[in-house]
This record gives sequence, C-alpha cells and structure tokens, in this order.
Amino acid sequence: MISASNLKLTFGKGTPLENPALRGMSLTVNQGEFVTVIGSNGAGKSTFLNSLAGEVMVDSGQIVVDNQDVTRLPTHKRARNVARVFQDPLAGTCESLSIEENLALAIKRGQRRGLTAAVKARYMDQFRSSLSTLKLGLENRLGDKMGLLSGGQRQAVSLLMASLTPSSILLLDEHTAALDPKTANFVLELTQQIIEEQKLTALMVTHSMKQALEVGSRTVMLHQGQVVFDIAGPERDGLEVKDLLGLFEQQRGLQIDDDSLLLD
Amino acid sequence: MLSEIAFYGALETGLIYGLVAFGIYLSFRVLDFPDLTVDGSFPLGAAVAAILILQGVNPWLATGAAVLAGMAAGAVTALLNVKLNILNLLASILTMIALYSVNLRIMGRPNVALLGEETVLEWWYDTFDYLPYHTVPVLLFAIVVVIGMILLWRFMKSETGLAMRATGANARMARAQGIATGAMIVLGVALSNGLVGLAGALFAQSQGAADVTMGVGVIVIGLASLIGGEAVITPSTVIKALLACVVGAIMYRLAIALALNANFMGLQAQDLNLITAVLVTLAIVLPGVRTSIRSRLTRNKA
Repeated sequence: MISASNLKLTFGKGTPLENPALRGMSLTVNQGEFVTVIGSNGAGKSTFLNSLAGEVMVDSGQIVVDNQDVTRLPTHKRARNVARVFQDPLAGTCESLSIEENLALAIKRGQRRGLTAAVKARYMDQFRSSLSTLKLGLENRLGDKMGLLSGGQRQAVSLLMASLTPSSILLLDEHTAALDPKTANFVLELTQQIIEEQKLTALMVTHSMKQALEVGSRTVMLHQGQVVFDIAGPERDGLEVKDLLGLFEQQRGLQIDDDSLLLD
Repeated sequence: MLSEIAFYGALETGLIYGLVAFGIYLSFRVLDFPDLTVDGSFPLGAAVAAILILQGVNPWLATGAAVLAGMAAGAVTALLNVKLNILNLLASILTMIALYSVNLRIMGRPNVALLGEETVLEWWYDTFDYLPYHTVPVLLFAIVVVIGMILLWRFMKSETGLAMRATGANARMARAQGIATGAMIVLGVALSNGLVGLAGALFAQSQGAADVTMGVGVIVIGLASLIGGEAVITPSTVIKALLACVVGAIMYRLAIALALNANFMGLQAQDLNLITAVLVTLAIVLPGVRTSIRSRLTRNKA
C-alpha cells in the first residue's frame, strides 16, 4: 500500500519562475490496485511520481509506503519498494551494459550488493524464461549490449526489470509515449499482463483519456497539483471519454484547453 | 634504432603507466568522472613510499601505504563533488593543487633519493641474479600489472562493480535500482587514485627517487595510453578495455623512446612534452581516420 497525504512542492521558490507543482496532493493506493493518472500538461503528474520515487523531495506532506514513512528518504533507499519505468526508453536501462547485466542489476534492486559475480549462473533460467514471455527472441541474446535494442524492445526489458523483484508499487510514467503506436500497444499489453500475473500495485501516468479508462481498475485526474476526481468500480466501467471531460468541467468549472487531452 | 636497455626501460615505465591508465579508465570511462587528481596522487604515492622506505619500513608495506594515501586523495576529490556539489573537474583540480603542498610536507624537501635503500626490487634482483639486470623490474612490474588487471576485472564483474558501471553510464537508472550513486563515485575515484598511488610508489622505487614535480602531466600520459590503447584494441568488454590500457601505455613509452632515440630527427629530451601532445592528438584522431578510410574502401567496392 502507498499513501501520500497533503504533498506540497514549489519549484524555484522565491524566483520569478516560482512554480507550485503540487498543492496539497493526497492519494492512497491499496494493495493490488492499478491506477491510471491523467491530467493536462503541468498538472503535476510527473512531479507526483518523482516525489513518490524520491527523485524530488516534497516541501511538506507525508509519503508512507507499507507503513513506513519514506518522505525524507533518497531514491536509492526507496528502491526496494518502488519500481519504475521511465518515459524515455533510454533512461530505464544501461546501453553500455549487456542485457543480462541489466537484468542482474535489477534482480538486486534495493538489496545489498557484494563482491560475488553479478551475473550468476543460477539467474539464467529466470532471465531466459522471463525474456521469452516478450516473444522478441531476446532470450537468445543475453550477452548483447542493450544499446543494440530498439526503443520498444528496451522499454519491454525495462518493464521486465521492474517486475523481476517484488515491490510495493510500480510507477509507470507515460512509458509508452515515446513509442510508435504498434510498439506502444505491445508494451501496454505487456504491462497489463505483468501487472495482472504478479498482482502488482501500479500507478500509470498517461496522456490518453481513452487509455486511462480502458486500462487499470481506477482513474485519477490531476489538475494544478491536486486530485480533482477519483473514480473506480462500476461507476468507472460505464464511463466514456466525453463523460470524463464533462466530469472534469463539472468539478472545476473549467474548460479544458489542452488539445493533447482531447485527442484519441 | 633502440638499444636493449632503452627498450626494457620503456617496457618498465610502460607497465607502471599501465597502472595509471587503469586508474584513468576507472574515473574517465567507468564513472565518466574527469579526474585530474592523479597529477597529485602519483607523486603522493611516491612521496609516502620513499619516506617510509627511508625510515626502514618494509618496501611492500610502504607501497601499500602509498596505495592508501592515493585512495584518500581520490576520496577527497569525490567527496568535494558528491557532498559539496563542486564540479568534478574543479574538485579534482583543487585536490591536485592541495596535494602539491601535502607532498612537500611529507617529504620535507622537493626530492628524496632512494639510492642504496631497500626497495621492492632488491629481493627480485637477488633472486633472479641470472637474468640481465635491466629485465628484472620488467618481470616484477608485469606480475603486478597482471594481478591488478585480474583483480580489477573480477571487481568490474561483481555486483558492486556492475553498480559502479551503471552509476557512470546512467545515474538515474542506477538510483532507481537502489544504487547509492554518491558512494559509488567515492569508491571508484578512491580506487582509481589508489592505483595511481601504487604506480607512483613503484615509479619512485624503479627510478631511485621521489620528486615533487614528477606528477606533472601524468594525466596526459594516462589518457594518451588509454586512448591509444583503445585505438588498437576495441574496448568492447571490460577485459579488453583493461588490456587496452596496458598495451596503450607500453606503446606510448616505446613511441617516446623511439622518438628520443631517433637521432636523425634531431629530437632531444626537452622535446618530451611536445611529442606527448602530438602522440595524444594522433591517438585521438587516428581511429576516426581509420573508419573513414574503411568506409571509403567499402563504398568503392560496392
């Protein structure tokens, strides 16, 4: 379980560029929930995810992961509980390392690293079998450099790496946005498959309202650093994109002027 | 062209600079941390070893102390960068400058002679007295370099070593995998300067003196060895990269020896730094030229 309460964060405090990114954001995600997060540009989606991961520190508020207050912990101390896939396919893996070395890094996420060989023979079966679920033939290319893979392949491996060890929450930050539509679909299906099989708790940021409603079990919309609505269950099942837009306007009494939200 | 003594001399210093190149590989390549501390940690290693040897300490213990001193210097540079957020290059320059004073303090004078003292080489000279005198240091340093190479290779393949490589290649990803990137930088830069301290200690013992100015340009020589080696051996794996360091360092010393011995060219000892700069430039430019020639050839064939 992960719980954020009253998170506040202002970038560039005291400068002309002062930008309040989070203005009292609160959200509790229960075990096994798959939450999709939408919101216009600057709504605070990425900042929220970064604050959960520890990449940015909030000014005030509290973040609790599995009953542990992690608000002041740096990224690497939260890594045991928090797995991530980034928007940029190059960000989630090391291109100068081989596929098996990347996986070996991930299998030790949040654990002590010693002086024994990183790529162990006993990992190999697990690496091969999980890579074979991707159906990309990567199980026969364990020694290849990550840099030889395409963006979609790398994103698929990133996803696999995030699910190699158990975590309290999986954070997906528009992880299909940089891919072509066909690859994006593949990665999205893979995401759903992995989350379902391993019963992961996940938070997925997306730019597409359609995707936000079709994927996952709960949808949250952010606006100006706050949750403006939060919908799940049967109420959500009957919802369409135009209803979502209506709900948003009703909640805030605002017109959405961001084209990217209206598309598809 | 090159006398036998000059040849073995080049091998001897080449092997020592191979250790420097290992260190520079760690900082520049693995951690992507441009570290100029080595210009200070090389004479630091020499100074610590020389002073301890003069006081009658076992030469291997003195050399070990030099490694620790080098590691401490590297740790200072890394901490300036990680904890105080000073730009890595500047942090290393600050430590390098500071070490000049530290080295003078350690030695108490600008240079210390080791002639007639018990160095790590004595036992080898006695044991292998049937070998020509000038080949004995080559034997010892080759063994040191091979041991160093194997240990470094094992380390790079270990869980911690892999974490260090990830830190240099993609720090954000490394943090997300739970790697304390700051600690990895401190460990890596310390290790790098420990190797350079070792090189300094061995260099002082093989040359018979430690001098406060002997560090000038070590960074350039190390980089020249690294880049030159990479031009000959493509560093696609860790072991190849380490091999490239040694080969590059030996090639560099041989090239210097050749240039200085080529009387017809009219070069003299004082031209050393100029030759170094020319060789480094060549080493950087040549791989590009090679690829462009190759692509032109294949184009013609097609």
